[in-house]
Amino acid sequence: MTKPKISSDWMAGCSGCHMSLLDIDERLLEIAELADIRATPITDLKEPDESGVDVGILEGGINNSSNEEVAHRMRARSKILVALGDCAVFGGVPALRNMCGTQEALQRAYVDIESNDESGKIPNDPELAVMSNMRAIHEVVTVDLHVPGCPPDPDVIYYVLKELAQGRMPEIKDENLHWH
Amino acid sequence: MINLTINGKQIEVEDGTTVLNAARQNDIKIPTLCDHPNLTPYGGCRLCVVEVKGMRVPIASCTLPASNGMVIETETDSLKKSRNVILSLLFSERNHFCPFCQVSGGDCELQNAAYDEHMTHWPMQPQWTNFPVDTSHPFFILDNNRCILCRRCIRACAEMSGNFTLGVEERGSATIVVADTNVPLGQSTCVSCGSCVQVCPTGALIDRTSAYLGHDKQMTITRSVCRGCSLGCGIQIHTRDNRIVKITGDYEAENVGTLCKTGRFLSLDEKRTRLTSPMKRVAGQLTATSWEDALTTLAQNLTPLKGNIAALASTRLSVESLSAFKSLFADGLSSNMVTSIEEGRPTAIQAKYAEQNGFAIEGKLDMLRTADCVLLIGADLLTTHEVAGFYIKRNMPKGTRLIIVDPNENGMDDLANINLKPKAGTDEAVFNALEAAVIKEGLAHTAEKTSKVSLSSALQVCGLSEEDLTDAARMLAEAVAPVIVYGKGITTSSEVSVMDAMLRVAKLIGASDSERRGILSVKGEANSLAAAQLGLDEQLEVKHEAVYVAVGDDYVTKRLVEKLEKVPYLVVQASYESALTERADLILPVNIWAEEAGHALNTEGRLQFAESALTAPEGVRSNLDVLNEVAKQLGVTVNEDWRTALTKRTSVVELEM
Repeated sequence: MTKPKISSDWMAGCSGCHMSLLDIDERLLEIAELADIRATPITDLKEPDESGVDVGILEGGINNSSNEEVAHRMRARSKILVALGDCAVFGGVPALRNMCGTQEALQRAYVDIESNDESGKIPNDPELAVMSNMRAIHEVVTVDLHVPGCPPDPDVIYYVLKELAQGRMPEIKDENLHWH
Repeated sequence: MINLTINGKQIEVEDGTTVLNAARQNDIKIPTLCDHPNLTPYGGCRLCVVEVKGMRVPIASCTLPASNGMVIETETDSLKKSRNVILSLLFSERNHFCPFCQVSGGDCELQNAAYDEHMTHWPMQPQWTNFPVDTSHPFFILDNNRCILCRRCIRACAEMSGNFTLGVEERGSATIVVADTNVPLGQSTCVSCGSCVQVCPTGALIDRTSAYLGHDKQMTITRSVCRGCSLGCGIQIHTRDNRIVKITGDYEAENVGTLCKTGRFLSLDEKRTRLTSPMKRVAGQLTATSWEDALTTLAQNLTPLKGNIAALASTRLSVESLSAFKSLFADGLSSNMVTSIEEGRPTAIQAKYAEQNGFAIEGKLDMLRTADCVLLIGADLLTTHEVAGFYIKRNMPKGTRLIIVDPNENGMDDLANINLKPKAGTDEAVFNALEAAVIKEGLAHTAEKTSKVSLSSALQVCGLSEEDLTDAARMLAEAVAPVIVYGKGITTSSEVSVMDAMLRVAKLIGASDSERRGILSVKGEANSLAAAQLGLDEQLEVKHEAVYVAVGDDYVTKRLVEKLEKVPYLVVQASYESALTERADLILPVNIWAEEAGHALNTEGRLQFAESALTAPEGVRSNLDVLNEVAKQLGVTVNEDWRTALTKRTSVVELEM
């Protein structure tokens, strides 16, 4: 039997969930034994195999057209899509801007903020991704497994990876279920 | 009894039990949010829905009375799905992002409910609306974004403190919790009892002191007794790293969780400077010294003055300490002036009366739960013994009537059905007038036909109108369970006869008879009654060469400091710096209330043990240790049998030791 392929990517998040993934420390070797770790933001390969992977993991939510593309690509190429962390599952910290709207958030961050001088302006390069409200992944594509946490505990991530690498669906409950 | 079946289990419950409570009594867990065991069922959140055989839709079990033959299921797949949807709707209504919230991680009932249902995400996303946050209150914050509209806070405000400050404004998902007519909490009628914070299931109401200092599971929780006044409310002291994080009301205690501002917040808001080393006056200056030297100095100065030492103790000290204090100074050193800081003002007269007559005249606090008419005379409960005031206030919407007799302004003036403002110091005349009026109206519960004093002459003395007085007399005499609550207005009278007059009225209106003693006094500080029982209730007169004051962590009045100004040698046993310690010749630093274990005898004679919750700073000793050490230095053996010492004198209320 061939090893299941695992790939990951990040979107609107802080990369903390991937840091937590690295915090599983030497257990990473165990996962590498069980699974074929493909494209991730912290490996050389940047995009999941066109031929598809067994497990696609996404950190962060979706707040612009670029994230949307990443989410759709990962969905299309993975059998099981995992939303990792509170931003991916609920919207998380970036979703706070939904409370005031994207325009007001940009105005505050780039123009009005106290540390700015008079020349502050909202970036408008046409090559930039188009911004939207912050959304949880399941609002854009179907998610098969939600692993909440800010970030999820390394032990939870290890459990999830180990189960998925062995072809089982992890059960997120009791000590593995934390929303914070 | 009612017989019903829950999840296939045959169970029997009392009539009037809700399905939810029937399940709880039989260890069947039904998840709840708006329900609180100490508040009236509300049926708001619907999380406790169950399936009842024969009924079309699931029903909230918290408001459903159990009835005979009911067949109930609580764990079907369809119910689990319903709970999931209910929780998802709650989460989607406001900003319930857990990572930003103080109670997340164990203390949030909403989060815990979602965990129990194994919810990994919200099927519906929030509606991204901002709701107001009210930070105007000195002790807590109301964040409507975290609110699930369970209305526990509103029910607690009404049912625990009887204050009715909190309510809601708007409708549906726009509903918000507001104070009064939507004024900032800090400017509202809120009395800061904090019951709302204690019952809030989410982070919508969080108190400032404990915010972000850890979760309940990280704290040590010590069951103890509030030392704020003589009511002796049960408290739970939450500590972490030898620091009090918060105080909550003990639901298992007589006060059933209710506390006041003093008990919940003020004791954590300590601004005084702590004394951590003994000090003695050297060449006019207070200088830090060792315990050994302090005690030697004390012995040198006090030994020649034996018999010429006056001694005062705070009534906040434990029964053990007060008894040792009494034994040391009154018995051991034969001092003719051993009393308490209160000087018997809140207790002496009734103690004297009980002693003269040889029987208890007062009843228990729980009479206030069932009283349908309260005569509040000379007691400003909301200032001095607030929780007793809450007991009355919260029953008023159910029809309990309140008559206030107080020449001064009273915190409950606005609530009174009849408010009598007699001339100051004429309480006896008020009782005489009530007696005459009850007899005149033919409403006496006893065979009494004549009053001690005529109505007109009594009215002339107290200056009240006949109409008002008669109304009050009628209201009292027609009540089924009237209670007289009296305070310092009465106890500072010089004549015991006022007690006689009160007791005559109590009998006449049916408050006191062979079965019931419908009279209560609230007394003073935590161990006021114990001090009275030990005879520490004399008025202070200082003509002595030395005075020993065991202040403990109590406050000292200006009056006391003035009285002790000219004492040749002043020893102060205290926890905090004060005007008195500034004047002292020797200071012995002691524990504060939470640092020492000991008993407290509350106003209704209930003896309670308070555990210590904190370790005292180095260099500080317990009040009892210091008194024992002082006794040793002065060659006195302290009688340790405080139980017998307490019961030597007839008590004004039956003691439950």
